[in-house]
Amino acid sequence: MELLIDNLSKTYSNGVKALQNISLDIPTGMFGLLGPNGAGKSTLMRTIATLQEADTGNVTLGEINVLKQKNELRQVLGYLPQQFGLYPKISAEVLLNHFAVLKGITNKGERKDLVQALLHKTNLYDVRKQNLKGYSGGMKQRFGIAQALLNNPKLLIVDEPTAGLDPVERNRFYNVLSELGEHTVVILSTHIVDDVKELCTNMAIINQGQVCLKGNPLQILENLKDKVYKKTIEKTELPLYKQNYQVISEKLFLGKPTIHVLSDTNPGDGFSLIDAELEDVYFSEIFNDTNFKSN
Amino acid sequence: MWYQIFKFEIQYRIKRPDTYVFFLFLFLFSIVGVDFIFQGSEMGLMKKNSPIVIAKTMGAITGIFMILASMIMGVSVLRDFQYNIESLLFSSPIHKKDYLLGRFLGSFTVLLFAFTGILFGMILGEFMPWNNPDELLAFNALVYIKMFLFITLPTLFFGAALFFVTGALTRNLMVVYTQGIFLFVVFMLTKAINNEFWQAILDPFSLTTTTFVTKSWSALEKSTEDLPYFGALLYNKLFWFSLGIVALIYGYKKFNFNVVKEKRSKRKQTVAFKKTTTNDTIVIPDSKKHYGLGSKWTQLKQFTRFYFTTIFKQASFWCIVICGMIIILINSVNLGTVYGVDSYPATYFIVEELKETSMYFFLILLVFYSGELVWKERGAKLDLIYDATPMSSFMKLLGKYIGLNLIYVVLMLALICSGIIFQTVSGYYDFEFQIYFFGFFLEILPFLALYTCIAFFIQSVVNHKFVGIMMVIIFFIANIALGLFGFDHDLYFFGGSALGAYSDMNGYGHFLKPYLLIKSYWFLFGILLLIIGSLVNVRGTETNLVKRLKGSKYRLSKPLFKLASVVCVLFIAIGSYILYNTNVLNTYWTDSQVTEFRVAYEKELKQFEYIPQPKIVDVNLQLELYPATRDYTIEGYYLLKNNTTEVIKSIHIQKLLEENITLNRVSFEVGFTVDNQYEKFDYAIFNLNTALKPGDTIKMHFKQSFRTKGFESGNSNVNINNNGTFFNNTDLPTIGYNRKYELNDEDERKAYILPKRPNKANRNDVNELKNARSGSDSDGINFEMIIGTSKDQTALVPGNLLRKWTENNRNYFHYKMERPMINFYSIVSAEYEIKKDKWMTKDFIPQPVDLEIYYHKKHDYNIDRMMTSMKASLDYYGKNFSPYQYEQLRIMEFPRYAQFAQSFPGTIPFSESIGFVLDIDDEKDVDMVFYITAHEIAHQWFGMQVEAANIKGHLMILETLSQYAAMMVLKQQYAEEKLLHFLEHQKEVYKKGKDREAINEPSLSMVENQDYIYYAKGAINMYEFQKAIGEENVNKAIRSFLEDWNTTNGKLKMTTDRYATSQDLLGYFREVTPEHLQYLVTDLFEKVIPVGL
Repeated sequence: MELLIDNLSKTYSNGVKALQNISLDIPTGMFGLLGPNGAGKSTLMRTIATLQEADTGNVTLGEINVLKQKNELRQVLGYLPQQFGLYPKISAEVLLNHFAVLKGITNKGERKDLVQALLHKTNLYDVRKQNLKGYSGGMKQRFGIAQALLNNPKLLIVDEPTAGLDPVERNRFYNVLSELGEHTVVILSTHIVDDVKELCTNMAIINQGQVCLKGNPLQILENLKDKVYKKTIEKTELPLYKQNYQVISEKLFLGKPTIHVLSDTNPGDGFSLIDAELEDVYFSEIFNDTNFKSN
Repeated sequence: MWYQIFKFEIQYRIKRPDTYVFFLFLFLFSIVGVDFIFQGSEMGLMKKNSPIVIAKTMGAITGIFMILASMIMGVSVLRDFQYNIESLLFSSPIHKKDYLLGRFLGSFTVLLFAFTGILFGMILGEFMPWNNPDELLAFNALVYIKMFLFITLPTLFFGAALFFVTGALTRNLMVVYTQGIFLFVVFMLTKAINNEFWQAILDPFSLTTTTFVTKSWSALEKSTEDLPYFGALLYNKLFWFSLGIVALIYGYKKFNFNVVKEKRSKRKQTVAFKKTTTNDTIVIPDSKKHYGLGSKWTQLKQFTRFYFTTIFKQASFWCIVICGMIIILINSVNLGTVYGVDSYPATYFIVEELKETSMYFFLILLVFYSGELVWKERGAKLDLIYDATPMSSFMKLLGKYIGLNLIYVVLMLALICSGIIFQTVSGYYDFEFQIYFFGFFLEILPFLALYTCIAFFIQSVVNHKFVGIMMVIIFFIANIALGLFGFDHDLYFFGGSALGAYSDMNGYGHFLKPYLLIKSYWFLFGILLLIIGSLVNVRGTETNLVKRLKGSKYRLSKPLFKLASVVCVLFIAIGSYILYNTNVLNTYWTDSQVTEFRVAYEKELKQFEYIPQPKIVDVNLQLELYPATRDYTIEGYYLLKNNTTEVIKSIHIQKLLEENITLNRVSFEVGFTVDNQYEKFDYAIFNLNTALKPGDTIKMHFKQSFRTKGFESGNSNVNINNNGTFFNNTDLPTIGYNRKYELNDEDERKAYILPKRPNKANRNDVNELKNARSGSDSDGINFEMIIGTSKDQTALVPGNLLRKWTENNRNYFHYKMERPMINFYSIVSAEYEIKKDKWMTKDFIPQPVDLEIYYHKKHDYNIDRMMTSMKASLDYYGKNFSPYQYEQLRIMEFPRYAQFAQSFPGTIPFSESIGFVLDIDDEKDVDMVFYITAHEIAHQWFGMQVEAANIKGHLMILETLSQYAAMMVLKQQYAEEKLLHFLEHQKEVYKKGKDREAINEPSLSMVENQDYIYYAKGAINMYEFQKAIGEENVNKAIRSFLEDWNTTNGKLKMTTDRYATSQDLLGYFREVTPEHLQYLVTDLFEKVIPVGL
């Protein structure tokens, strides 16, 4: 099974070009979709999840034309939106059961087993009778993934699932996700580089509605091998460095700015070569695109 | 600081479309506000823009649309919680006081703005072209502004305070919505208060208050005077205003800046790290997924149960249920009341009462919960998860739809419970569950179900909850308006007509089948709407309507397409069948077509009104009635006699203008030719080959048939029924022009340039002096009739029953009246129980009079009272007026489609609703069964023995004298106190009638059609008259009057061809009145002196 996105474009009525000729081949496995806020990730995800119309282009999952055969796609789709709420006065078990029916699991016995299994899987079994109103952010997110898995999806779309989760919850969440990648096309959109680093076998970076980069994280890192240098500087020097070097990121380390620069040769001047991180890739791509206009 | 919040609130609302929708809605509605509020009730002399009318209209509109106030005020604080910014707000350094004050004032300002729509709308309404300048005072904007400030503003303030506080405290939108119901309940409760003053103070919309403060006003004052603001009205306003303040203070004290409601702490807090084990070992079973019809069915059940439960569990829903039950228990106090006497709490009365009062509750449920349900997922921000599942949008919408309908069912069951409780408490145990069932599930549920389709459709398409709600309300009003303008054909008047009344005798009769058909037709339409709604509703993030429309083609799945096609075909098929029935088998007339027809009738045929025509002197007919198919055939002859001094060459015959009736044949003994130039009016002129000389007679043979063909649009004929047929001879061919087809309404006549006409002719009208009835074609007849009906029914017409037999499995009855009678006879047939008795008197009649009561088998409550009244009346009238003229006196019950009793020679058809089921408590009630019976029997004298000329004062002779006679019998049987009690009630009737009067009140002797005068004032004045000059003297006068004016042998009547007038009657009154009381005759009967109250 493979998800093919071909030349997908979408312009909103207010003129924002959310997607511009996006083409991606997404094989089975975890696929990371990386991009800053407002890059068009959610639009892309929603379009694949049949929740939004595209202006032009094509999306297919195996035999299914995603844009036309919406219901066929929905039968094999698991979707966890970026933001969602829950009915406050209903328990997780009841709501999960409700969604199971909607997804076509109409055999009562099977449905019960499935719901139990998923509640165990997502570690919600002990609180399954509690009203959803009392759920914490992490529990809510785990419930979200539980509902997405109900129909044993062939395509799973999770939109920024780890935003707002504490590290423990995040790990727990990854564990659940990583298991799925074996048989399923999983698209994980995020603006957190670590998410992709830890989970994904393939990835793409999109910015301003366009794909800037796609491929295997390891290969991508290979491209930056021996090109990223680091230096800790004073705050006041920052503009100067920005003028002279291709600064791809700046971070505070113990209160002082640490900059990463991209360079084919060793710039000297106190810079030291480091192993490129995925974050550097990300920042370099974003840098290429925007030239840090906003900074 | 509060000012910042105030400003922010206003700026926020200025950008919201709802603000303008509310304003526009109120504005448009108020343009027709006065007409809408006063629709159906006579405004009397009150001008359409008189202060009291404006005050009442503003009060009523404010009351009806208080719900808008809840939508504006309730969300003010709630909004912060909805958009999850409460934590931001409440943690900022705002004082509670500033926050609440700013929000309240801000939304109240917006509320005021929206409600000024009423002010401007009503002002504009005054200038609408359809207003009649005669009905208006000079324009005065100040009056409107004053009323707005005085009537609307305080009510609004109270509502605003209440809604604001509940919204802020409960943080629950549905609670906010349902508050409108509380105010309504309060309003209804005030109606149950007996003390007028307190009722006036406590009415939240000050409707009863304005009535109270103006109750002693004359018509002129009501039309012009400004309202007295001091007194009850001021107290009322102060009361509600201070309640508003109290609500605000309470809200201020209780409101808490805590983000989380404190109740939460009770619940056990979540422990996030209960288990940290990884669950890799758990295998998720691969369940089978089903997408076929079976799974759709399971999903539908799931949706239905789910949405039903969400509403069912809401406290606000149970508030509505409890309010409904309470209000009905209070309101059922006045059941089927006739002249202040309640009926037995028979189930159909209870059901009608329940339906009437609960409608508002159902509408609230419908309008708001449909919006709530359509928005349910989006409200909870779960929509994207739902939308990405392979569920069918249609199944989801249908599930919501069915769920909401089940909610109605719950409320209905609760109401039925309260009805049964009420019956039990009243000691009535014949619960008749099927009537409860039919009343709710056959009448209300389909109505609600259909409108719910509309509501779901609108909410699905519009994609803005409040705008959707408003559009649903607008649709309601527009549909009602369409009906009022006469566009009420069942095929395009949404939902079709209501089901006809339930009658114990006839059940739902012939109404049921067309009703069900028409409802199915609309229901199919409703399903189509739901399908379309489910195709265009928002699924995903696309909200643009055009794009949704375009995208809908991908959403139409094959099974859904099949369903839509089947529904569409059925819709067209049933629609065609209905059209075939209403417009092919029958003719559909719009109101304006009827009006134009009447105008043409008058213009073309009026020339024949008083041309010399022969009079009917003998009637001999054979009628075959088929109740099961609602058909009849009647044939036989009239003997016509030329009573004029002129030779008559042509005879004009009018067939009743009813489509079901065909005049198959008319022939005369001598040769004749037919002139059919007025055929469209069913009016034929028969030119006789040999003219009819004065004094000559001629036989006119005819055959007429009534055929029920399919069904008609709207209400059909209710005279010919499966059980309980009742019609009279005006359905048979009549001679000459019929004034009854002329347009009545003065304004309509003006619009069609028809001359003004009084309701009754003047005293000097030569033609009408000779008529005992309008267009009368007889001065008395000999009557004989054979009538056949189905085996289970008894058929009755006036006369002695000569023979009764069964033939071809049908019952036949041969009646003959052995003495002349007026040309007015009823034809009645139904399944009857019979109570028989005899009335004997030594003095007057050689043989006893047969007394018979024919009644529906369950209606035996008051048969003895009727029988007692028959005897007492015959005794009293026979002794004091003149002997009873017939050999029998019969009372026959007929279905409650009409609510009257009517006297025909020796027979009195009596509606099932007015006497048979009254629950008379002899301690506190007047025995109205006894009284009505006595009144109708009195007509055997006043109407049968003596007839009155068809001019002003006509009804004083017939009705006022009957009232007098009945009162005297009542006094004799019971006691003077009962009579005084009865008169108290008459005073109220008089007062109410006077308030509605559009022209100046006439005197009794010149009365036209004003029932409050000839019945109510007549009774009161006659009582005073007999009190002053003595009962025996009045009886003496009546005796002489009867002796002189008796139609068949009156001493004076025999010397003239005119009938008695009220002037004649007053002459007899004067004769028996002593000199010093002569003024009384003038004051009571000839002058217009309002009854002392």
